[in-house]
Amino acid sequence: MDEDFSHSLQKVAELGGHEEEVWHIAWNPAKSLLASCSSDKSVRLFTYNHDGEGTLKFSLATSIPTGHLKTVRSVAWSPSGSTLATASFDSNIGIWEQEQPDEDGHSGEWECASLLEGHETECKSVAYSSTGTLLASCSRDKTVWVWEVQPDSDFECMGVLMEHTQDVKCVAWHPTEEILASGSYDDTIKIYVDDPQDDWFCCTTLTGHESTVWALGWSPNGKYLASSSDDKTVRIWKRVGEYEFKCVLVLEGHDRSVYSVSWGVGNIGQEADPLNLGRIASAGGDGIIRVWDLHENPSSDKPTAKLVARLPSAHGTYDINTVVWCPRKGYQDLLATSGDDGMVKIWKIQAS
Amino acid sequence: MLSEIFNPNPTVFLSPASSSRQRQLSAAKKSLWMMTDDSSDGSEEMDAEEGEEEEIDQDEIFDLIRNICDPEHPTTTLEELHVVSASQIFIGGSNNKPNTVKVEFTPTVPHCGASTYIGLSIRVRLIRSLPTRFKLDIAVKPGSHQSEHAVNKQLNDKERVAAALENPALVKMIETCLTGRE
Repeated sequence: MDEDFSHSLQKVAELGGHEEEVWHIAWNPAKSLLASCSSDKSVRLFTYNHDGEGTLKFSLATSIPTGHLKTVRSVAWSPSGSTLATASFDSNIGIWEQEQPDEDGHSGEWECASLLEGHETECKSVAYSSTGTLLASCSRDKTVWVWEVQPDSDFECMGVLMEHTQDVKCVAWHPTEEILASGSYDDTIKIYVDDPQDDWFCCTTLTGHESTVWALGWSPNGKYLASSSDDKTVRIWKRVGEYEFKCVLVLEGHDRSVYSVSWGVGNIGQEADPLNLGRIASAGGDGIIRVWDLHENPSSDKPTAKLVARLPSAHGTYDINTVVWCPRKGYQDLLATSGDDGMVKIWKIQAS
Repeated sequence: MLSEIFNPNPTVFLSPASSSRQRQLSAAKKSLWMMTDDSSDGSEEMDAEEGEEEEIDQDEIFDLIRNICDPEHPTTTLEELHVVSASQIFIGGSNNKPNTVKVEFTPTVPHCGASTYIGLSIRVRLIRSLPTRFKLDIAVKPGSHQSEHAVNKQLNDKERVAAALENPALVKMIETCLTGRE
């Protein structure tokens, strides 16, 4: 049973405080902040830095009561790191900004700059595009909304996409282009682009998963998309045409629904290797974190995937709801997870 | 309550004198609706004493759900309607996995709209009573419902379940099913 893996996940921090399950976490792309959200309707912001001895320390910066009437299901930072979006089961999206520090230098409070209404039922996911000019949201009402971010925290709805036949569970923007992907209870993934003459529309549908698609993660180079599903697999889709994708790999091993997938840059030393596609982390109902290194295969469409780390019972017997790599340079070996135990845990991947 | 009754005249089976009535349910003590910051909930204390995880069997789980009432017939239990039975409880789930329990239930009629409420009530009762290490799969008995796949899918979608339990009207209905008859 105890297979030797090339890497291991070492626990860096355990962050408690939420009173109910923590559904989602997001690393601020520009600052040393991590946001978590929960059924307790609050968002907690954690800050991290190296102490005098070079050890990474995490601590609570603040807890935002949000005012959402139900579970806060998802959080997302704008690329600048100065705005936070929250998606709630109360069907609304909150946009949060921090006030300027006061005369004594105390950090400003996080205030709700805007409330985006429109979804008819629970909002499940929210995400900013790579430039920060667009925000996408999705809901059990089967729609995906695309909002344009305007000055003064104004948001204009650019499109309401009603292509899925069931709840939309997640949205994810391409790392560089304005291409949006959504995953649904209808077992499919849809890709959307903006027609300059017209509107946002669905340009392709990816089928193959045998049950609900819970999460999506684009590869850092934008040529692949990973999806995780209730069917216990992670699928890798390769972009083979402008808006054409092909499923090239199915990663098995999980025993229960895979609720989350995150595609990070992977082994920093190998960043210059053009075949290195990065590192995928996945987790879900079986409580096990799995990490795969992916490499492009020069002779085939199918990348090679190697399981480099596996950590069972990361949150004890509880489900893991989110697993996410830190996007910031210098911290890309950090992985955050959140679970039904109300905990947020930080792990560092290192060679065994 | 429900806007239409699907089965106004269900067959009611008399419940047999049960041997497990003599058994003091340890499950009654293990009310684990909310996880606590410290991990000292009842079941883990028990585990520490016994030095191993307490095993659970079909009868214990059946005892937890037999007295749940059918939402359409609040004075009749799921046992009396033959909706649940000990033989339809599978320890180890479908594939003999540790810490997994699968409960199948038989709706009273094939198009039963109350199936969602019955399934949810079973899930809520078991989440509150079983140690957190158990993963629960709830399903209608194969062949017993015309929308079997759709019903099963929503009963096992944790996000849909969580959202449903934030709906006050639905929670009220489930609580009625659960308080039913002791």
